[in-house]
Amino acid sequence: MPAARTLGLSVSLLAAFTLAAAAAHAYHTRFVAENCHTNPPQPTSYITRDGSITVALRARYEGYQWGGGCWNDNDLDDSPGDPTQDPATGGEGGDCSGFTFKVWRESLDESDAGFYQWNMLRNVHGPYTADRFRLGHGAPNYALAKANLVKMDALASTGHIGMIYAPNADGTDQIIEAKGEAYGTGIWTRTYRGNTAYGGVRRLGWTQP
Amino acid sequence: MDNRPLLAGAAVLAAALLGASAAGLVAPAGAERPSLPSSPPSPEPWIEASHLPPLLRTAGETAELRFDVYCGPADEAQVDAGCPAAGSVFVRPGAAGPFRELPLVREQSAFPGRLAARISDELARSPRGFEYYAVLRSEASGRSLTLPGGGAAAPHRSLLLADPATVALGRHVFGRVRRPDATPARASWGRGPGQVGLEQGRVPTPIGGSSFDVDASGTVYLLDEANRRVLRWRPGAASPDEVPLDVNGTIADLAVAPDGSLHVLETTAAHGRPPVLRSFAPDGAPRGAVALAERPAALLRGPEGPVVLQHPSGQWLAAGRGGRLLPPGEQRRAGSSGRPHGRAGEVVVLRQANELRLAVVGPVGDLWSSWRVTSDTPLGEVQLAEPLGDRLLVVVRVYTEEQAEFAVLLLGDRGLAKGFSVAASEWAETAPLARFRLAAGALYRLGSTPDGVVVDRFDLEAR
Repeated sequence: MPAARTLGLSVSLLAAFTLAAAAAHAYHTRFVAENCHTNPPQPTSYITRDGSITVALRARYEGYQWGGGCWNDNDLDDSPGDPTQDPATGGEGGDCSGFTFKVWRESLDESDAGFYQWNMLRNVHGPYTADRFRLGHGAPNYALAKANLVKMDALASTGHIGMIYAPNADGTDQIIEAKGEAYGTGIWTRTYRGNTAYGGVRRLGWTQP
Repeated sequence: MDNRPLLAGAAVLAAALLGASAAGLVAPAGAERPSLPSSPPSPEPWIEASHLPPLLRTAGETAELRFDVYCGPADEAQVDAGCPAAGSVFVRPGAAGPFRELPLVREQSAFPGRLAARISDELARSPRGFEYYAVLRSEASGRSLTLPGGGAAAPHRSLLLADPATVALGRHVFGRVRRPDATPARASWGRGPGQVGLEQGRVPTPIGGSSFDVDASGTVYLLDEANRRVLRWRPGAASPDEVPLDVNGTIADLAVAPDGSLHVLETTAAHGRPPVLRSFAPDGAPRGAVALAERPAALLRGPEGPVVLQHPSGQWLAAGRGGRLLPPGEQRRAGSSGRPHGRAGEVVVLRQANELRLAVVGPVGDLWSSWRVTSDTPLGEVQLAEPLGDRLLVVVRVYTEEQAEFAVLLLGDRGLAKGFSVAASEWAETAPLARFRLAAGALYRLGSTPDGVVVDRFDLEAR
């Protein structure tokens, strides 16, 4: 019964929140509806870190969409000002974990550690939240000591994940990430590595470099 | 306004929708259109590169320059073949004379840095080091990139540390932190008078009060970017006054000029535009803005004006001089590998794994002082490295998977003159190198908790 009450409360909260969000934000972009598809990914026999950086760089300067995973490569956020509290506005971009999923070229099947090339216009988020990446959930992902991370490894907290693009001489890292609606997707210098809120995550099976 | 309840609600909603989506219950918008043509716009060719400059070397180390190059547009099925890149580095001994070209060699299995050049022992042992820049080229598109961006006008400098003072920190003991001597600024989260805002909406972590600065009088300036203002605590004042600023409301860095002018570095670009440095009068009146040459990381109050750390060059680029903001081309030509200080010198920093190398360097690469600091506990970013009298004050993060603190090191000619630890105190995200400032012989720390923001002061001269 307590579980049922909790579920009821969650459903009520969800409904109330959705209604409030809809009332407050009538905005709804057509980006996903007009540009994105659901084509299957292309399996590939290997992936390299440099290749994944190239995949990530194609998303740079594009938008951010909570729960999203579809973008083009025109270096513009095609749905700027997308309401930040609504994950179903159909805007351009991935969120942090959806972006990581596509850049790491993972499978929707959590038991599958294989490599899958997702077209950037394929609207897919993948099964992992930032926190699940942090915990190393899924066959392709495992937690790793932060001091050992290299490029294309990730730093994840309960609410965010970003991938290392390059380390800097001063001990900071350049992180490529889908940061938020006001930020979009890009490369920024961050201090996630030493922040106790963040843990290290690595995608299994890279062929270097 | 505290946005935590909102975030909690958003998290519930996200979890529900993502969970449902993963289970196939909620199709994403557009899923009913199964086979739209995947015909992305044709983007312009681009080239990107990363490079960790060997700024400070020790005897016996091979001097190598390594670069990773990425380019596009790339066929999605071919991205793992890598960018067909080539290029050269241009090298010279010391800080004058002609550069000599060295072709970069492609080492297919090298990681990181597939394009590499080895510097001759003769050059590597030059008393004033060597200077270099690289010209990298995509053979697919012909696009090229000069790194650092100023090329021959502002090359990187790599110095040999002949006889550095050594400091072995050993294993860091967490929990033995020094208490601040004073807390000159404190504000709760919110939008009201004297409060500091958290960025609203769907943000991955709390973000707010993203930078601060302190002037010679001890006045604390806290950038409240979410509320688009600066809060200014004068010494002894019970509450801050507010200076409204026309900024974009995302993570930014702050530097206050000696005349009270405010410089704000916006690290995130407005829609379709490059990031900018904004200049304001002490009352917040806009004085101008300038586009930045590269990706900005941090802002310093330099001896002649604002200086911005930018990537991929990895240099501190002057962004203003004599009250004039410099356009991107001039910024590139005014880069230096170290953090500028005084009229001529710079502090060069290189953290590699658990070792930190530091040098105070004159204008032509003359090494004034140098240190090697080793630690048994991982070292993170160097938040601050500034001369204090005849010593160097360094603040570096020390961390494990579960803990983090900052080590404050006062380095003298013989090594560690004084050291203590301070708590990380970092509930909310800030600009990356905006946690500490040195002013009038005291170290100031920007910290935060779920309740709000504090700026603490640690007096250095009295102890």
